[in-house]
Amino acid sequence: MSKAISRRDFLKVTGAVGAAGLLAACGGSSNSTAASSTASSAAAAESVAGLSTDPVTLTMSWWGGESRHNAYQDAIKAFSAEHSNITVNPTFAAWSGWEDTMSTKFAGGVAEDVCQINWNWLYNYSGNGQTFIDLNSVTDYLDLTQWDDAKLGACNVANAQQCVPISMTGRIFYWNMTTFNKAGITEVPKTLDDLMNAGKTFKEKLGDDYYPLHLGAYDRMILMVFYLESKYGKDWADPTTSTLNYTADEIAEGIDFIKSLVDGHVIMPLPTYYGANGDGATHQSNEWITGKIAGIFEWDSAASKYQDALDEDNKAGFTVGEEIKFGDYNGGFSKVSMGMAITKTCKNPAEAATLIEYLWNGDGAAIMGSECGVPASKAGLATAQAAGKINDLVAEANDKVMSFVSCQLDPLFESSDLKATGTGVYQEVFDTVDYDNASGADVVDTLLDGMSAVGYNV
Amino acid sequence: MKESKAPSLGRTPAQKFFDKWQGLFYLIPWIIGFVVFKAIPFGQSLYYSFTDMNFFNGIHEYGVMNYIEAFTDAKITKALITTFKYAFVTVPLKLIFALFIAYILNFKIACVNLFRTVYYIPSILGGSVAIAVLWKAVFRDDGLVNTIIRAVTFGNAQGPSWLSDPNYALWIICFLRIWQFGSAMVLFLAALKGVPADLYEAATIDGAGKWKQFFSITVPMITPIIFYNLVTQICQAFQEFNGPFIITNGGPRNSTTLISILVYNYAFKSNQMGMASALAWIMFVIVCILTIIAFTSQKKWVYYSDER
Amino acid sequence: MGMKASNAIATFFKYFVLILVGLIMIYPLLWMVSATFKDNSEIFAGIGLWIKNPTLEGYRNALNNFGGSINILQAMLNTYSYVLPKVICTVVSSCIAAYGFGRFDFPGRKILFSIMLATLFLPQVVLNVPQFLLYTKFGWVNSPFYLAIWVHCAFATETYFVYQLVQFMRNVPRDLDEAAAIDGCNSFQTLYKVIVPMLMPALVSCALFQFMWSCNDFMGPLLYVQTPAKYPMSLFVKLSMDGDTGFAWNRILALSLISILPQLIVFFCAQDQFVEGISAGAVKG
Repeated sequence: MSKAISRRDFLKVTGAVGAAGLLAACGGSSNSTAASSTASSAAAAESVAGLSTDPVTLTMSWWGGESRHNAYQDAIKAFSAEHSNITVNPTFAAWSGWEDTMSTKFAGGVAEDVCQINWNWLYNYSGNGQTFIDLNSVTDYLDLTQWDDAKLGACNVANAQQCVPISMTGRIFYWNMTTFNKAGITEVPKTLDDLMNAGKTFKEKLGDDYYPLHLGAYDRMILMVFYLESKYGKDWADPTTSTLNYTADEIAEGIDFIKSLVDGHVIMPLPTYYGANGDGATHQSNEWITGKIAGIFEWDSAASKYQDALDEDNKAGFTVGEEIKFGDYNGGFSKVSMGMAITKTCKNPAEAATLIEYLWNGDGAAIMGSECGVPASKAGLATAQAAGKINDLVAEANDKVMSFVSCQLDPLFESSDLKATGTGVYQEVFDTVDYDNASGADVVDTLLDGMSAVGYNV
Repeated sequence: MKESKAPSLGRTPAQKFFDKWQGLFYLIPWIIGFVVFKAIPFGQSLYYSFTDMNFFNGIHEYGVMNYIEAFTDAKITKALITTFKYAFVTVPLKLIFALFIAYILNFKIACVNLFRTVYYIPSILGGSVAIAVLWKAVFRDDGLVNTIIRAVTFGNAQGPSWLSDPNYALWIICFLRIWQFGSAMVLFLAALKGVPADLYEAATIDGAGKWKQFFSITVPMITPIIFYNLVTQICQAFQEFNGPFIITNGGPRNSTTLISILVYNYAFKSNQMGMASALAWIMFVIVCILTIIAFTSQKKWVYYSDER
Repeated sequence: MGMKASNAIATFFKYFVLILVGLIMIYPLLWMVSATFKDNSEIFAGIGLWIKNPTLEGYRNALNNFGGSINILQAMLNTYSYVLPKVICTVVSSCIAAYGFGRFDFPGRKILFSIMLATLFLPQVVLNVPQFLLYTKFGWVNSPFYLAIWVHCAFATETYFVYQLVQFMRNVPRDLDEAAAIDGCNSFQTLYKVIVPMLMPALVSCALFQFMWSCNDFMGPLLYVQTPAKYPMSLFVKLSMDGDTGFAWNRILALSLISILPQLIVFFCAQDQFVEGISAGAVKG
């Protein structure tokens, strides 16, 4: 297929140095390669024109909810008070439709000077470095040493530091202990056995409607990878070459693991969930709100969203769980949840970098707090903590994830052809398992075909 | 259509020239608008459909590969079939329903303004958040529809699982659009008001019943608007996007993945502008063919007052 | 059966159908109204209208502004500041173009008409990017006067309405034009003295549809309006969605409800225009 080939070509171009920082294998944490690559590109990058004393106008964009809009705007106000010649004109909206707008603007070369971006945008919209500048050219204004090399490395695409990570995120279990207590379970599940027992106990004590955990199709895919990584101790795929590290048999085993959770009444069958909620989000489902679904496996930043959704009886029982070790290794991955980039069309990169420095390394971090997740910048984190602006739940979840996970995520994992709700390949695979009672061996080819179509070497 | 002969008697050649071309004069704004706002994007999308265009990687390949893939990829052919199913269910039901209600509303009815507004409310709500939430609530397993089914069968029948059963999910989208029949109804109402009252009076004197009047007077007199509604509804049905987008997102198991959902995913989710354009042009050709069929058939059943 | 009895049955049948259908139509609106007073957990618990724990939070929060730059009133004003020009331009330009297509015969008319119709058939999604690039070239993106959103309507680009008016015009007998011509009207005078009054119901329905659709349009403003202070209602409603922290449905629904109120009122008031606009006797005589 033509597209697969062209995708692979672009990965060859972009991947070479792109994920040099991610070479470290699962379980390891050495990142010397990343350090050297960052240093070398820093030397190569040309520096930009200095700060102007004339009035400068910057544009900036982000997506989010109300509290994030307010935090950013307050931070911008404080920034302008400090830099009286710089005016920042923001534009912002909710996530739905936002990527379509931004991709149109990137294509037209009219995106804002400073953009909050999703990690995979680097690959989708700037795979050859055509959209965002190399931040190594503005190190006079932006202190890149505040970020770990591994985190920076994940944002180094096409041999350019295209964004700085705002925060890192990974998946963790959250439990509604109110329901668990009703079933007579007082401790959060810590092992696979605990999980399977919870499934059995829920069915016996609370009835068929109650499940200890709910996983949508994409969640199932992530947990399956988590399980395999935990068992075999290798990344899902090589981040540099996108070569899949698992054989069809191993993947089939992973899918069968998910199937065993369904069969063991641990997770709700997908048709049952759809029948009541369509494709609606879990935190909006009546089952979650009222405690019939007593657990989720979600991003660490999602904690408050899920807690807030619970009704009064259940809210108090909301608990950040423990990561579960399914095999000999820790498994699981963390990724850049979002980044901040400067577009190539920006006329004042020095001022733009100053703004980013202020928001994530400087005093702005005290205003932003954990509004975009726990800050990845060391200085920013310290400032935000000192100001008491880090949400406790998010901090707890983030701590647990970051101290546990050991693997790297490859950029193709989140390709929309794979993860899209409704039409994605992951959905197709796990729907088939539940609707047709198919086994891992039956559906593994569907998954592999879909993966190779987006550019994986399988 | 025949140009009127009466005023052209005894005119100078210059006047005759003006008579001949003055229609074009009224089309100048449209022609400018077409050239500036439509022709270029249209041409571009046609061009892209023969490439592997990606706005961020450029073009590496030319040819008809997108079209070949469109007719060989199982997902796309399934979406095409689903789109046809959707259109052939929704368009006739919506038009019949809209005409029926408009016909009743055209009688002397108390509080007619209120009724008309009430019937138009679903169309105002359009594709809003509220509709997405409500529609799921209506069709969920223990939702309103299944509750009613249980009630009228005294608990003997259990309704289907609308949102999760691939055999039923498309109906949810069809019902949504049939329910939003307001625009078609408004046009029918406007057309019905244009039917001369004396025709009905004559028919009543001749002893024709209401149903006979409806089929022998009302329907023929408003055929131009029936025809208009038919063409535009077909067109809208084949481009339907919002319904599945907000309610089912194409699922379950791609049973509501209409072709426009795929166009959107290719264009915005995976940046395959070439493929998106090819699918759009396939739809274009399909709707064109249906419209040509409709236009050829209109000589048989559409009655225009301006023809003699 | 006597005439009277069968009339009574017909009347009963009419009202029975009207009210039954009416209930199905209005229920969502009633539900929406009741849901604006419910909290998140209650909204998803069922679709009854009864409110267990009524709260006014939704409306209170609906009045919040975002960083001081935009509030609900400003958003409403913004919406109408481009919807009105859009409606006016559409109606005037579509009427003129429809007149050209519907009343004159000149070489190439059929081809032009087919081209116009064909523009209906291509989905907007694939045109978004080329059009965006075009408007960027014109400098219309983020224009304080929303140029990218409404100017094209002045050039009869809304094919639905051109075609709609052509169809309605074809039901206006040509005798009237000829009578006007004999009275000494030129073609333009015929248009506004004869055709426009005759077409009034159709024109009003055009205006009405364009009004409704423009108010609800989301993608257009999202692409072409970038200054928060200029955001219209359709964007404002969704500003508070998608947070990682608390998200209140009652607020979204309250905002949606407030945003459609003007549309409801406009429809209620305008409908007499399109149904009673014609004095049938005078026209068809």
